[in-house]
Amino acid sequence: MTPALRLSGLTKRFGDTLAVDALDLDVPQGSFFGLVGQNGAGKTTTLSMAVGLLRPDGGSATIFGEDVWSAPGRAKALVGVLPDGLALPERLTGREVLTYLGLLRGLDRDVVARRAAELLALLELDRADRTLVIEYSTGMRKKIGLATALLHAPRLLVLDEPFEAVDPVSAATIKTILRGFVAGGGSIVLSSHVMALVEQLCDHVAVIDEGRVAAAGTLDEVRGGRSLEDTFVELVGGRDGGVRELSWLSR
Amino acid sequence: MAVALTMARMKVAVLRHTFRGRGSETATTGASLGALLAAGTIYLAFLDPDLLAAGYAAWALGWMLGPVFAGGGDETLRPEHFSMLGLPPRRLATGLLVAAFVGVAPLVSLAALLGLLVSGVRLGVANALVALPAMVLQLAVFVLLAKVFVALVGVTLRTRPGAVASGVLNGAALAALGQIWIFFVAFDQTGVPAAAWYLPSGWGLLAVRGDWWALVALAVLAFLLLSAWAALLGRRVGATRTSARGPRRPITASTAGGAVVARELRTWSRDLVRNHQLSFALSYGVCFAASPLLLGWDGMLPYAGPIFVVMAASLAANLYAADGTALWLTIMIPGAGDVRGRQLAWLSAQAPVATALTVAGTAINGGPWPLVLALLPALLGGAAGLAPLVSVYGLVPGTDPHRRAGNPLRTSEDDGGQTGLAYAMLVLVILTGVPAGLVALWTGWPGVAVGVATGALCYWGFGLLAERRLSSHGPELLHMMRTGRKPQAATRSRFDHLSNTRKSIAVWCFGGGAIPLIPQGVVATVFVARDMRHHTWFLATYMPPGLGYPVAAGFILLGLAAYGTGLWAVRPRRGPGRLGPGPRGTGREAGTAQR
Repeated sequence: MTPALRLSGLTKRFGDTLAVDALDLDVPQGSFFGLVGQNGAGKTTTLSMAVGLLRPDGGSATIFGEDVWSAPGRAKALVGVLPDGLALPERLTGREVLTYLGLLRGLDRDVVARRAAELLALLELDRADRTLVIEYSTGMRKKIGLATALLHAPRLLVLDEPFEAVDPVSAATIKTILRGFVAGGGSIVLSSHVMALVEQLCDHVAVIDEGRVAAAGTLDEVRGGRSLEDTFVELVGGRDGGVRELSWLSR
Repeated sequence: MAVALTMARMKVAVLRHTFRGRGSETATTGASLGALLAAGTIYLAFLDPDLLAAGYAAWALGWMLGPVFAGGGDETLRPEHFSMLGLPPRRLATGLLVAAFVGVAPLVSLAALLGLLVSGVRLGVANALVALPAMVLQLAVFVLLAKVFVALVGVTLRTRPGAVASGVLNGAALAALGQIWIFFVAFDQTGVPAAAWYLPSGWGLLAVRGDWWALVALAVLAFLLLSAWAALLGRRVGATRTSARGPRRPITASTAGGAVVARELRTWSRDLVRNHQLSFALSYGVCFAASPLLLGWDGMLPYAGPIFVVMAASLAANLYAADGTALWLTIMIPGAGDVRGRQLAWLSAQAPVATALTVAGTAINGGPWPLVLALLPALLGGAAGLAPLVSVYGLVPGTDPHRRAGNPLRTSEDDGGQTGLAYAMLVLVILTGVPAGLVALWTGWPGVAVGVATGALCYWGFGLLAERRLSSHGPELLHMMRTGRKPQAATRSRFDHLSNTRKSIAVWCFGGGAIPLIPQGVVATVFVARDMRHHTWFLATYMPPGLGYPVAAGFILLGLAAYGTGLWAVRPRRGPGRLGPGPRGTGREAGTAQR
């Protein structure tokens, strides 16, 4: 079966830094795939290249077999993206953002209106109907971002740190939505530093370290009999001789 | 003082990093231009104290208005950085003030203030000694005027009426500066007005010349400004966002194109900084064209509309950067007609205003209908075509709206680049009006057809080029905005990447070309034609009969040559072939991606 997302030899260099180093990764259809790694490991760079937001220096990315760079129209219609920290049309309300994006995606006006209303209600953004996105809290921004990713009913979701700054109640809602999406045949790739969250949600996981895949496979294959956190620390940690305490902080 | 010294040290550290990188070019250009101006000011001290007082008035005005038009001024250290330290406002302001003395602009101004020392030395020992504190206090007043003025404009930008009002005032002020000759003529003023001495900018000079009270007045003023700034800083920290509030319009768009237009129009009307810019452009156009009414001459009125269009276009030069990294959505939905929608939105907002202004002004003046009706469509189409094109080719990375700090005027970290882009846009838009204008001048009404044709062609063609560039280079543009830096190789043809010499040439030519062209050339021709002799500073009116026209024509040529030289200096080094989109994977400037 064609993988939902296939990255082959993806490479990106920023100046002297090799951010992503010939990275290969297959995300099987129907999987809930977690990407874990330290800050600066190359997760965001990889995901940006995977969906066509950053041009790789080498390698390719295909979504359900469609090349992101040579067939951007077809590939991009299949994917919903939640990037980390990028702007939205900031001076629109949440409903306006969803409506206009839906229209730009070529959806029918009534369909857009219905989906937007449903998403806003589900993510509890409908109470802020007059608030512009620029005035949203960080958590609300994540939620409206997720709504824009879901709006056109994509087959693959690529989510960069979707739970960062989201309150527990909203996080539970989002988890339910995402599990339902996978149960309905969709595929998800998400990045996170929170191991517990990845263990709780994902069935597949890849550990990214210094721009390469340090380990990848089903959750059980990667963590063996241990917790994902122990496996992770063993794979990528321990380079600086362990954790020290700050002596001047204790009284 | 410890706080102040630490802040000054922080500023030095930041500047050191900036000057090591690409900021060094901007700084060098700024410093060399500033040094020239400073040298000119010091020279005035040898000429005439009257002129020196006028010179310092110009410096003060530059400190006040400069930051408003060029990205909010120095923001290396921001009050927000220190809000958790719990410093009393005045101590914070003092610290920031001391840090503000570190930098190219204050250094250059201090050099210009050496004119005070020169004046003092020429008068005696006591005067020379007074000059030293006078220089420092005068510089403090300059810096504080800038800070207080920017903070005040920032406060006005929190409400729509405030944003519009300050836009109108700033537009009027800049127009008055551009048309200052009118005031000289109107008040039959030939020398420097006495007022120049009694403005705070002249107090340092007064003190040096023996009016010791002026030194005290300067110190008191500096203290008052510092207190005002401290109070304004308190309002800035924790400032609300600059968006208009109120009920939201119902959503009526039902197509992709309609969605882009609606998004743009809402963004423009809700962003108070853009409200400020548009009212500024409108006010500038009206005031610039109406000011000759003071002389009883309404011949410039028909051009209020065209001037407004050119001004508004230059403010839209960095169109795509204004939305920052929201570009990712455009990249993710290819083929949604983003460029066309933005063009249509810009046109539908500006064209009615420009048309109304033009028709009203021309009706009052009773003509020249063919010329203005030729210019209007040519400029509108040119501007609507160039705005997306210039902003995708010359993009100066902006700060994402939700990440902007307490100074709403600060929309980009590269304020120099943004200002340069606005100037380039001014010239380019004017050029799109030239063919129609010339044909209208020579043949009358056929010019209107030419104007409509070139306007439509620019709108369509430049829009197409912008669309292609966006789809071929979207990820590169997004990366630029994400990092706030231009990739080295991608700037080969842009203003930013020119050598310092070329940049200086361009700045001088674009900045100074108007003086020979408009007042000494075009206006002087009108005066010569009306047989007005010995008019203030219009050189042609002092010429013996018969030489008036040639001299004025010479000035026009000089002005045109200046613009031509400026264009030559900024022209792309590579051939025009690079305007095309180029196949993916080849001809790409950044990186060597394999597809």
